[in-house]
Amino acid sequence: MEIKFEKIEGNSAMFYLWSAALAILVLGGVYSTYLMYTHGIYLSGMTNRIPWGLQIVLAVFYIGLSAGSLVTSSLYGVFGKLEYKPFARLAAYLAMLLLIGALLSILTDQGRIDRVLIEPFSHFNPLSMFSINPFLYISYVLICVIYLWAMLNEKEKWTKIIALVVVLWAIGLHSGTGAIFGFVPRELYASPLLPPGFVAAALSSGTAFMILVILALFKVTKRTLDPRLIHWIGRLLAVFIIVALYFIFIENTYRFYQHESRHAAHFFLFGGFHSVLFWVGLITIGSIVPAIILFREKTGKSISWIVAAAVMCVFGVMCERYLIVLPGLIFPPEILPGWQIVQSPMEEGIVAYSISFAEIAQALGVVGLIGLLFIWGMKFMKLVPKEAKMLAED
Amino acid sequence: MDRREFLKTGAAISAGTACICGLPVMSAFGQETEESGTKWGMVIDLKKCAREQGCTDCMDACRKENNVAYHNDPRWDIYWIRKVTIKNKQVPGLEKTVPLLCNHCDKPPCALVCPVQATYKRADGIVIVDHHRCIGCRYCMVACPYNARFFNYKENPDWPNREYPKRSHGVAESCTFCTHLVDGGELPACVQACPQKALQFGNLNDKDSDIINVIRKNPVKRLREGLGTEPKVYYIGL
Repeated sequence: MEIKFEKIEGNSAMFYLWSAALAILVLGGVYSTYLMYTHGIYLSGMTNRIPWGLQIVLAVFYIGLSAGSLVTSSLYGVFGKLEYKPFARLAAYLAMLLLIGALLSILTDQGRIDRVLIEPFSHFNPLSMFSINPFLYISYVLICVIYLWAMLNEKEKWTKIIALVVVLWAIGLHSGTGAIFGFVPRELYASPLLPPGFVAAALSSGTAFMILVILALFKVTKRTLDPRLIHWIGRLLAVFIIVALYFIFIENTYRFYQHESRHAAHFFLFGGFHSVLFWVGLITIGSIVPAIILFREKTGKSISWIVAAAVMCVFGVMCERYLIVLPGLIFPPEILPGWQIVQSPMEEGIVAYSISFAEIAQALGVVGLIGLLFIWGMKFMKLVPKEAKMLAED
Repeated sequence: MDRREFLKTGAAISAGTACICGLPVMSAFGQETEESGTKWGMVIDLKKCAREQGCTDCMDACRKENNVAYHNDPRWDIYWIRKVTIKNKQVPGLEKTVPLLCNHCDKPPCALVCPVQATYKRADGIVIVDHHRCIGCRYCMVACPYNARFFNYKENPDWPNREYPKRSHGVAESCTFCTHLVDGGELPACVQACPQKALQFGNLNDKDSDIINVIRKNPVKRLREGLGTEPKVYYIGL
C-alpha cells in the first residue's frame, strides 16, 4: 500500500498565533531560568529537605510519554502492522521531542547550568544513575533521528533494524530512569519494582498521549482517520493501564506488609495531599475508570469515550510521577531508629513543598519549546499522511 | 534474514555487549579494598554533651570556621553539624541531645550517585565535595540517609573566615571534618570548641590512638548501621 506523507501547510493565522504563544512561553522559561542561574534556585519551591521538585517530576513524566509514542511507532516498525505506518513518523518525532523536553527540564533544574555540558562528560561516574541516564537519553535522541531519517527516506530495511534498537533502548532508558529513584536508600524510593513499574506507567501514559495527539492533529488539519485504528490502540492502552496498576499494587502491598516500612507506606497511602492524588488521581481517575471505559464494548469503540479515557490516563500518570518523586522526599529518613527528633534548628520530620511561580514559568518554557519544535517540524517534514485507514476487515 | 532470526541475533549481540561492558564495572563495584594509613573518624560522647544544655558551641565554631551559610530561614540554612533533641518512642520521658553531622561513610551513597565525581572519599576517608566541579543536581542530598547534605540555594551573605573559601550558590556541601585544619595537624573546629570535650577526633586505623581506645572501652553505636554505609562517626550513650 502506498501511503502519501505530507507536510502541513503552516501558513494560516492560527499557525502563527500558536507559534507566537509558544514563543512567549519559551521566553518566560528562559527568563525564569536566567533569574535562578544568577540568584540561586531558592526561587523554586525547593528546600534543603525537598531537593527535587516540579522540574524533575515533569522530566520523568516526559520520559514516560516518549516511551509510549515510540510504542505506537513500533507497531509498524517492529511488529510490521502496516496500517499503523501513518502514525510511525509522527510518533518517532514526538518521542524524540519529548525526550528533549525531559533533558531540558533536567538541565534547567541544575544549580550550575554552566558546568552541565562539560563535567558529566569529563568526569563520568559509571556507577551513578544520573550519569548513565543522560548517556542513554542523548543516544536515544540520536537513534530517534536516524529512525526518522530512515522512515522519511522510505528505507524499509533500516527502519526495521532501527525500530527494534530504539524500542530496546527505550526499555533500558525507562528502567534506568526508574532506577534513579529505586536504587537509593530512601524509605519510599528504594524498590527493585520501580524500574519495571516505571516502564509500565510510561507505556500507558505515552500511548494515551499519542491517541490524543493523533486525534487532535487529524481533526485540526482536516485529515481522514479510520476510527478502528484508534479502537485498537485503545485496547492496547487498557492492557498497559492494568499492568501499571499491578506493579503499583504489589509495591504498596509489600511496603505495607513489612513492619519496618509500614509507617512510610501508611504515610504514602493516607498521609495528606499526595494520598488524595494517589487514590483519586492515580487509582480512580487515572486507572480504574479509563480501564473500564476502554474494556467495555460500547464505550471502547466510541472516539469521545476513548479521548476521555486517554485524558484521564495521562492525568493519572502525571499524578503517579509526582507520587514517585515527592512523597519520598517529604517523608523524613529515620536517622535515629526508635527515636523521634523533637527539636532541631533545621527542618526535620514531615515537611511541605509548594511549587513556585518561577518553577512553573520554567516548566511552561519547556512545554513551549516542545510545541514549537512540533508544529514547525510538521511544516518542514513529511510526517503525517492525508489519510489513515484499516487495511482489511478483522 | 527473517524477523525471527534477526530478533535472535540482535538479542544475542546486545546481551553479549552488555556483559562485556558491564562485568568489569560490576567486579570493581563488589570489591572490598583494604585501606592502610590514616582513616579519620569521630567519637561523640552524648553523656558529656548532655552536661551543657542549650550549648551550641560546636555549631557556632563550625559556621564561623567554614563560612557555612545562614539566611535565617530553615528552608535554606545550612548546618554541617546540628544539635537535635530526640525522644524515645517506647520509653516515656527519655530524651537525649545528639549532634548530627556527615558520617563520612566508608561506603558513601552520596559519592556513589554523584554524576560528576564531585563528591568523593579522600584516601584518609573524609568525604568531600569539589565545589568547582559540582553541577548542583542534588542527587547526593536525595541519596544521603542522614540528611547531612545541604545545597547553596542562595548566595552566602557572610564570609567570616577569609582564609577559607565560601561556596557560590548552586553547589552542594556538607561537613568536611575541617580538612584544611586536619591536613595542617589541627583538630576540626567543633572538636576544638566543645567545652565538655564530648567530641573526639582521631585515626581509626591506628590501634594505639586515643579514639580507638575510647571505642574499645565504651559501648558505641553508629547511625543506621543496617544500611551498610559504614559511618565513621561513633556515638557513646545513644
